[in-house]
Amino acid sequence: WFHTLQVRRLRVQRGRSNSDPLGGNSFEQDFQWKTGLQFGTANSYLNLEKLGEGAYATVYKGISRINGHLVALKVIRMKTEEGVPFTAIREASLLKGLKHANIVLLHDIIHTRESLTFVFEYVQTDLAQYMTQHPGGLHSYNVRIFMFQLLRGLSYIHGRRILHRDLKPQNLLISYLGELKLADFGLARSKSIPSQTYSSEVVTLWYRPPDVLLGSTDYSTALDIWGAGCIFIEMLQGAPAFPGEADVFEQLQKIWAVLGVPTEESWPGVSELPNYKPEWFLPSEPQQFRTVWKRLAQLPYKTEDLAQRTLMAMPRDRISAQDALQHPYFNTLPPPIMQLRDTVSIFKVPGVRLETEVRDIFSPSRRIKPSLVPLAKCW
Amino acid sequence: MKNPGAAESRRLVGLLEDALVREARLWKVPVFKTGCTQGADISPSQHQDVILWLGEMSRLFHFCPETFALGVCILNRLLSAVKAQLKYLKCIAFTSLILAAKINEEDEVIGSVKDLVVQSGCNFSTAEILRMERIILDKLHWDLYTATPVDFIHIFHALLVSGHPHLIPSIGLGSGVGWGSAAGPGFLPGCPGHQNRPPGLQVALWTRQVQHCMACHQLWQFKGSTLALAIITLELEALTPDWFSVFTDLLKKAQVESTEFIHCKEMVDKYLTSLEFSLPANAVYIVDGAQIQEEERAWSPARRLRQRGREGEGDSDEYYDGFRCLYKEEMSPEAGECDGEGAFDAQKDVSPCPPLHPAVN
Repeated sequence: WFHTLQVRRLRVQRGRSNSDPLGGNSFEQDFQWKTGLQFGTANSYLNLEKLGEGAYATVYKGISRINGHLVALKVIRMKTEEGVPFTAIREASLLKGLKHANIVLLHDIIHTRESLTFVFEYVQTDLAQYMTQHPGGLHSYNVRIFMFQLLRGLSYIHGRRILHRDLKPQNLLISYLGELKLADFGLARSKSIPSQTYSSEVVTLWYRPPDVLLGSTDYSTALDIWGAGCIFIEMLQGAPAFPGEADVFEQLQKIWAVLGVPTEESWPGVSELPNYKPEWFLPSEPQQFRTVWKRLAQLPYKTEDLAQRTLMAMPRDRISAQDALQHPYFNTLPPPIMQLRDTVSIFKVPGVRLETEVRDIFSPSRRIKPSLVPLAKCW
Repeated sequence: MKNPGAAESRRLVGLLEDALVREARLWKVPVFKTGCTQGADISPSQHQDVILWLGEMSRLFHFCPETFALGVCILNRLLSAVKAQLKYLKCIAFTSLILAAKINEEDEVIGSVKDLVVQSGCNFSTAEILRMERIILDKLHWDLYTATPVDFIHIFHALLVSGHPHLIPSIGLGSGVGWGSAAGPGFLPGCPGHQNRPPGLQVALWTRQVQHCMACHQLWQFKGSTLALAIITLELEALTPDWFSVFTDLLKKAQVESTEFIHCKEMVDKYLTSLEFSLPANAVYIVDGAQIQEEERAWSPARRLRQRGREGEGDSDEYYDGFRCLYKEEMSPEAGECDGEGAFDAQKDVSPCPPLHPAVN
């Protein structure tokens, strides 16, 4: 989900302290946690403020009266004739089975005849907001730990036959510690081994891979990997990798301008895809990524190499999430990071912490040390 | 690239383990040894009939086999969790299928609840379905993703293809296996260069067999993983003298207990054979056959265990969508000789509920 501008303004006043569950106030003094309250009932949660509005839900910040934890309340619009939207059923039943440090946690479901609310752990911001707050590209170390967590989450869901199918910065939640969590599984689907045809209207255009843009409906985990690659570039560069403005064809042109127009030699079968146009001959030579995205030229080659492996035109050539985690790009992270249990955050590994971003639109003159943020580990 | 190697096999084993965990977490014997569904007044044969009916509905709505299987799992789990009355059975079953479809099918395939009800020829109101939906979600704690017998068929098939491709040449590579890793053999989205390999013939047949078995109440005592492995082993036995080592490998990976497995295999064999030789008068067949020509996804009765491997090998269907063609391909040679199937050709446009509808009302 995305958050509104209003939220960002609030952040101006409160800075990062809004990661403090009680917003700095001693809420507890005049509020007694109710012990008789139960999960699954609406009055167990207090609505605090609206965070944003999505396609099928409105998200509020809330607080649990059961344990005082901050929560995100995703209020799902119910259609009277259709019952629970399929997006909600997929999201909830998928998340029920997913327990991972890089997947958003679903705490509770409140389901009545008229309404449906999912109670999620509260996570302070998302990658889109984070990049807005820190324009011009993120700290290269932070890019690495975000990317690692993104791939770690993907590797986990892909290993369970689940595709996210809607990766974009807005759907990657970022906690004040720098923990990245995949969210918004409304379009995700568990996928059996023999693939059914997927509807091609799934991924936001900017993060959509060329095979899907070309009309292939036969896609797979490589779909999410392309999205991850786009996000990788965007974090480094501070601007979307392929910001097409109009339609599928413009989006494809953006991609071809970097990767070159695919041919039968480079991508057997490409010309048979529905949206393929034989008249694509314009600047068709593949460009070096570092000449297109200048930030790559300033970083060791392995950064560019990983970007290239995720942004291969032919889906089959794209690296898997699992292999990507083994890429030399991540060699500089402390080795124990590779051996964590699913539910353990990478920030449990000594030495892993979010670096201060060079640019911060909210405090241009002052650097904030994330390590000074009060500890509130409970979420 | 063609040889997926150890990584692929590890990945598949991981997939299997995950499915087994999900199954272990959620699976319950849907019936007691006495034969009756827990505490309810629903008899096994009524339960069985409603599953068969669900199969028809699933085909009528063009749902994939996974959806049917998931719908049955939801139904069975609910029946083992609550005391359900017979009069609600059909509504529970129908809603289970709708829930499975909401999870599994693309939204353009699902259609509106209202349309589905109309198509089904039943007289549920939308409100009833929605109320039931809420009850099911609540009773099952929204935890609907389970590993179905059909899932296990696919996973075992993938393991066979990746681990023992030489055994069953007609499975071939590219039968929709390595969907996940970029290097997987069958993972070739939009890559028609590879599309002329034969698709997974066996897997389609096994899928239909397992769907049959899901409707057989004597087989409900077995988990989906056991059932799937039994079906595949019966096939392997017939196809290759080398089957035993392959089978023990799968058995170990699937963590299936061997006495239970043997018991299951015998029963499956008996059941599938009985289907093979049963007369058209057999209710199972009639209900089944009524729609079979109408729907591309229809299952045909499990039959001719020993010949299957050689049939349809030459078909060069499209990749995954080849599934649909496959069913058609198979149907034609069988239709003539097979009990009941051909006879129902004329019923192509009959009402969704066949005349010999199970007595569940």
